Amino acid sequence: MTTLDSGERRRGSDTRPLITELIDEGTVESIAQEAWISLVGEDEVLVPLPGGPATDPVSSWVDVVGPWTGSVVLTTGRRTAEELTRALLREHSPAVLEEEDVADAFGEIANVVGGNVKAALPGPSGLSLPDVGSAPALRNPADLCRVELQWRGEPVSISVQGALPPLPAPR
Amino acid sequence: MRALVIDDSRAMRRIVSGILGDLGYETQQAGHGREGLDVLEGLGREELPDLVCVDWNMPVMDGLQFVSAVRSNPGWRSMTIMMVTSESEHTQIVRALAAGAHEYVIKPFTADAIRDKLALLGLLPQEAAL
Repeated sequence: MTTLDSGERRRGSDTRPLITELIDEGTVESIAQEAWISLVGEDEVLVPLPGGPATDPVSSWVDVVGPWTGSVVLTTGRRTAEELTRALLREHSPAVLEEEDVADAFGEIANVVGGNVKAALPGPSGLSLPDVGSAPALRNPADLCRVELQWRGEPVSISVQGALPPLPAPR
Repeated sequence: MRALVIDDSRAMRRIVSGILGDLGYETQQAGHGREGLDVLEGLGREELPDLVCVDWNMPVMDGLQFVSAVRSNPGWRSMTIMMVTSESEHTQIVRALAAGAHEYVIKPFTADAIRDKLALLGLLPQEAAL
């Protein structure tokens, strides 16, 4: 008797890894700490305590495309993003920061954190240029690794979040 | 000594230029690979930088395309190219070195990391080596 494959069964190749199977919060936090010390300042530390939701939030992110596809998203309050920009630019910081300055510096932090997160994931993967604005939508709550931190007492969150919706449950 | 710093992030260009400036370099900047080539094309042979620090992911022309373009010009062979990038996968490093980059610095980096790489390349200005 021949069994016909109707194509409706879920195949092994349909599975794709969730971010929680590939990286943990400790690794993401350690990448962020290293980026902070190097870019923001030697004495600048991220405190691993949730700081609650940011006031007037702004996000910067890069997309990773490869065996795992998603975004590495930094979110903080707009004023904190401006403070971060001043810390990055140090003596080169202008008296009045333009929106473009903040987008550039905050985006570069996402680029550095995202590049190092990408390196910890299975490859090869591509990395997009950074973007700044409202965070990309969370497509699959199970495909998320998030760390909640504080910098100078203000909340900073880093989310490594999948870009794809959940697969249908196997029948 | 002279250096050209190519990165699409102004903040990162300022950071790298600041480190090189502290070591005694005169620096010029460009925002992507094509702009970097334009700078080089506008310089006489005696004015070419000793060192080019170039990012990988940039709009218009990325760092890898820039390295290949520089290496295809026999008049630019004297320049040392150091990639300074957040691309830290081993395969990417191999690709950059195969294309003609001499060194590879992964972001985030410290000023000491840049200094050490320059010392290895023999490109530390005398006053900074003391």
